[in-house]
Amino acid sequence: METYISFALAVLAAPLFPGIILKVKAFFAGKNGPPLLIKYYTLIKLLRKGSVYSTSTTFVFKLGPIVSFAAALTVLLFFPFAGQAPLLSFHGDVIVLFYIMGIGRFFTVIAALDTASPFEGMGAAREVFFSTLAEVTIFTVLILFYRMSGSLSLATYFTGENPITLMGQSGALILLVIIAMFMVLLAENSRVPVDDPATHLELTMIHEVMILDHSGPDLALIEIGAFLKLIFYAAFITQLIFPFDVLNGITRGLIFLGILSLIYVFIGITESIMARFRMDLVPKFILTSFALVFFAAILTMGVFQ
Amino acid sequence: MGCPIDTTLTIVLYDLIRRGMMDTFLLSLTVLLAGGLFALLTCKLFSLMKAGYITITAVGCMIGLYAIIGPLQGTEVTTYSISWLQIFTLSFSIDPLSAFFLIPIFAICPLAVLYSFHYMDKAEQRLRIGVNFFFLTFLIIGMALVATADNIISFALVWEIMSLSSFLLVIYDYHEKETRKADYIYFIFAQAGAMFIFASIALAYSYTGSYSFSTFAVIPANIKVIVFFLALVGFGSKAGMFPLQMWLPHAHPAAPSNISAMMSGVMIKMGIYGIIRFYAILNATELVFGEMVLTFGMVSGILGVVYALGKNDLKKLLAYSSVENIGIILIGAGIGMIGLSSGNMAMASFGFAGSLLHVLNHSIFKSLLFLGAGIVLKKTGVRQIDQLGGILKRMPKTGSAFLTGSISISGLPPFNGFVSEFLIYYGAFQGLLLDGSPFIFTMLAILSLSIIGGLAATCFTKVVGIVFLGEPRTAKAADAQEAGITITIPMTIMAVSCLVIGIFPTPFVQTAFMALKSIKPLVPVGSEEVAVLTGNLAIAARIFLAVFLFSMLLRKVLYLRKEITHNPTWGCGFTQGTTRIQYTGTSYAMSVVDFFRPFVRVKTRYSGIKRIFPRQTTYNTSVEDISEIALVDHLAIPFLYFMRKLRWIQHGHIQLYIGYIIVAIVALLLFV
Repeated sequence: METYISFALAVLAAPLFPGIILKVKAFFAGKNGPPLLIKYYTLIKLLRKGSVYSTSTTFVFKLGPIVSFAAALTVLLFFPFAGQAPLLSFHGDVIVLFYIMGIGRFFTVIAALDTASPFEGMGAAREVFFSTLAEVTIFTVLILFYRMSGSLSLATYFTGENPITLMGQSGALILLVIIAMFMVLLAENSRVPVDDPATHLELTMIHEVMILDHSGPDLALIEIGAFLKLIFYAAFITQLIFPFDVLNGITRGLIFLGILSLIYVFIGITESIMARFRMDLVPKFILTSFALVFFAAILTMGVFQ
Repeated sequence: MGCPIDTTLTIVLYDLIRRGMMDTFLLSLTVLLAGGLFALLTCKLFSLMKAGYITITAVGCMIGLYAIIGPLQGTEVTTYSISWLQIFTLSFSIDPLSAFFLIPIFAICPLAVLYSFHYMDKAEQRLRIGVNFFFLTFLIIGMALVATADNIISFALVWEIMSLSSFLLVIYDYHEKETRKADYIYFIFAQAGAMFIFASIALAYSYTGSYSFSTFAVIPANIKVIVFFLALVGFGSKAGMFPLQMWLPHAHPAAPSNISAMMSGVMIKMGIYGIIRFYAILNATELVFGEMVLTFGMVSGILGVVYALGKNDLKKLLAYSSVENIGIILIGAGIGMIGLSSGNMAMASFGFAGSLLHVLNHSIFKSLLFLGAGIVLKKTGVRQIDQLGGILKRMPKTGSAFLTGSISISGLPPFNGFVSEFLIYYGAFQGLLLDGSPFIFTMLAILSLSIIGGLAATCFTKVVGIVFLGEPRTAKAADAQEAGITITIPMTIMAVSCLVIGIFPTPFVQTAFMALKSIKPLVPVGSEEVAVLTGNLAIAARIFLAVFLFSMLLRKVLYLRKEITHNPTWGCGFTQGTTRIQYTGTSYAMSVVDFFRPFVRVKTRYSGIKRIFPRQTTYNTSVEDISEIALVDHLAIPFLYFMRKLRWIQHGHIQLYIGYIIVAIVALLLFV
């Protein structure tokens, strides 16, 4: 039962957290900022509207939002929120999950190219390049986790007798993983310093420019997909920080929510105090995250212990 | 005679069935040969020739598929031998590994042949087409015999039949200079590769003194390494392993597309078969074999896809993508070999099984992509990706099939490419608990696979996005029309197979596991573990499909009674101007290709902007293959220089030539 509740909560609350980021950014700018529920209002507005389709497009354009939404939703089915057993889990599921995210991205990209707009092509080219690099970091994390736990499943990483956390045996290595995963979170979810969701110049966009021509419910599906993806990465990091010895279900959930919100606050702070990188610095940024976890993975080798 | 009568009867019956398998296999080859002769004899009657040839070939391949059902279920190995030229024995047998490699041959070839009905539609070339069909038959028979050859002599013989018949197929457009040049390169690589294989076989023979493959196991360990390395070079050049892949990007664009589909989808896998077969018969368990294969696999995989990204010619791009997939297959095999050496049977089983399944998968989607590329090429007359666009609207069936193939080759769930890549990942992760160099190698293998996966998706979003989506960039692309039914049907069958293997992976994975029985030192993991894993994989694929259908339904509901309008793409990015302002494939790929310098050489020619009122400026980039550059600069040119110095030997005096022969014979008689 808790499994279903936690999954439903995660899906329903996903649009809430980006509101926190906006609040934090407003705080740094000395403004009031939009209401916390702003993303819900946006979604409702979009769902009420109709759509305009470009005459250049084919059915691929309409498949884009569906597949990216479906991919993000499927991935969450496997995630153990607050240490609750997920709806689905098996040995090897992490590989499947990151590849399912891959098909979501594949369709977002070809939907962008379907519009024939040069801006969208540009955004698509950046998206595929950066996400390829981020994928390398992610698989290095999986290698490290396999060395630590002998497991290939999100549920066994974060639940059970010996979860992978900062408080666990190899906490020092997890610190590196947390930093690296945070960098991947920024890159994969188009946040500053990799991408700026608030920019108005198409030439500098990555993710936003790919969805320029989507409108109405299609755009709403894309947005929800993006929120779900963000909450996946944020929850992943939350689980790594999570102190595992709190047993009570409700307390556990609350602590989880607290840490999760803190991560969003931290994203907000990063966005407020940093400028975005020039495009050619982004690969270096992502490769730094790779170097961190690669170092951690090498440290697990017997020779160095 | 203590043997009860019914047991004897069972044995006799069983023997009959067993012999039946081999006879059925030979029957299928005979039928195929009859098809080739039919095409040659009836080539005056164009349509009859094509229809008859296609039917007979399809029947022959069906019989062939029927013949391998038994071996795939692990029945006893059957052998067929005949004596040849009194002293040699030709021997063929079908064990599970052979049978597995026969699947793509008998399943893909008839589809590619069916495609040729509408593809080769120029009645005035009917003689040439008839001859082409005749050699095609030899290619199919040659490949089937390579997969079943059971001793040195038969292997060498059928290997050459396969190489030479494919050489004759590539040269279909012989009046074009480019084609002749490409085919010449292919010939050199095929024959040089064969020489390495023969050297390997000869070295082995000098230690065993027997033609039989089964005696290879007794060769001393250090010689085994040399034998295997020579074979790896020879088979690798056939398979398209980096840095011996040079012929692929030349021969594939030159050949007709149904031939490219068969060569890239099926024939190059015979190189993989050779590598795995030699590994199995050498009974080699040292670590160095796995590390060697894995290293070649990683290099081929990554550089193959990077070059594919950089190429602008659609068929060249697909050729390099074959190099990438051969890399993935070799990574799987390398993981399997390392697992075997370290006694980690789970790692070994999943590595080899993933590798074999990827052979089958790649044969499906790569043939599909070549067939699709071929028909786009035929309908538009344009090879360059950057001059196409908007084809999906004009050729919806071809486009949808090509899209399916692209997703599959990018290794994304729920399609078949993912299943085999997943098995390789799974095997590799098992190896992470090893220590020392196996750990480093498996870690690098996983990282390479993830890079290859990302880049393959980049590469095929480029192909689909630039060629099939958007607006046509040239008038030729705008005039494209949907292809005939014999062209769309094979492609649809292949596209559906990609999805079917992705959603129902269990029987296919089990078949791959069955083929592992031929790799003797390997003890495959229990079938329960495999069944559980593939079951889970199937569930994940189906759940994703279910969520996808749910989202589709959700979208339908959300759009109920909504106003839908159609307008041009948002103006700021795409106003008035021409369709040529669209993003090009070259710019799409350039940042990734740049990232891989200096392993990729990018040549840029830019006229620059001069004067206050600039004249027309030109900008041109091309991506060049470093192995090709290295081969030409450091091998071909010095070799030619050396040969030129020896030219005085060739002077045209016949009496001196006879003198050479006598001296050579005397020298041989004295010293050897």
